[in-house]
Amino acid sequence: MRIKIGILHSTIRKEEKLLMEAARKKNVEIKLIDIREEIFNPQNYKVDVDLVLDRSVSTIKGLQALLFFESLGVPTVNRYEVSSLCADKFATSLILYKKGIPIPKFALVFSEKQALEAIKALGGFPVVIKPTHGSWGRLLAKINDKESLEAILEHKEILGSPQHHSFYIQEYVQKPGRDIRAFVIDGEVVCAIYRHSSHWITNTARGAKVSKCKVDSQLIEICKKASEAVGGGILGIDIFETKEGYKINEINHATEFRNSEEPTGVSISGAIIDYCIKLLKNKK
Amino acid sequence: MNLKGNCPICDCEINLSEGIEESEIFTCPECHNRILVSKIENENVILEEAPKIEEDWGE
Repeated sequence: MRIKIGILHSTIRKEEKLLMEAARKKNVEIKLIDIREEIFNPQNYKVDVDLVLDRSVSTIKGLQALLFFESLGVPTVNRYEVSSLCADKFATSLILYKKGIPIPKFALVFSEKQALEAIKALGGFPVVIKPTHGSWGRLLAKINDKESLEAILEHKEILGSPQHHSFYIQEYVQKPGRDIRAFVIDGEVVCAIYRHSSHWITNTARGAKVSKCKVDSQLIEICKKASEAVGGGILGIDIFETKEGYKINEINHATEFRNSEEPTGVSISGAIIDYCIKLLKNKK
Repeated sequence: MNLKGNCPICDCEINLSEGIEESEIFTCPECHNRILVSKIENENVILEEAPKIEEDWGE
């Protein structure tokens, strides 16, 4: 019987169109599920897909939809546990640290006094302050001195929601004008890109240029370990190249890949659909 | 099929490519606002102003 995958979305981006095209080529039926139009009532919800693939641009809505489908026994990609862990930078750092996977030094504090002490222990300024939840390189701040720290924290405390009153601090890592985004499925590196920028923020959403990254054995090893640590699935792993070797910066649970198929020559969308098919076959 | 719709902000007529999907967001060629494809009914496309980018968007 033909496999039917539900794509959970809240807007259709190029990635979702690539997934639809890849599914068509593999004779997989796609049902687009706009989660903004759904009523997630377990008493009467009719499931008519074999698996759901979370592609929601909204992290919170995507996580809630995953939780709902999992509660109904529908296989989900990624699993809620994996996505919720990766959506939280502090939680991700903690699990990677616990597993002994190289990452930049980090700390979480709730006040300026503790921030100053934490920064001393991290090796001093500059540091980077990030929201624990967020993406596209938004609201990241490189803090060069105590005065900037005071200003940023005051703004966050007064203008930010309670979520912004937790200060995730990371040591500033000097990058060689680029970082790496590795596309990892089921622990295997499908392909990887360099994200080049003269700015210290190297997100493609912030204008970084993309080129193919040669995948070496160290990259394969660190990605496999990181994937195992967070529970596997489909991941976009952001990696710094440092003097001490690769370090994992962040892990993305619903990775965007529109700019990466062409330079790598790899059908990431096809690999995602293949993974969904494999999961369903293994389930039977 | 020749898909057409009107920008909900500047009212210009927009010709849309065939591969366009409901829930897709694009930029109006005239006013450069972000527009959402709300509904596709035969050749008629209903367009709305796209939702603002929220804090938890993206990867």
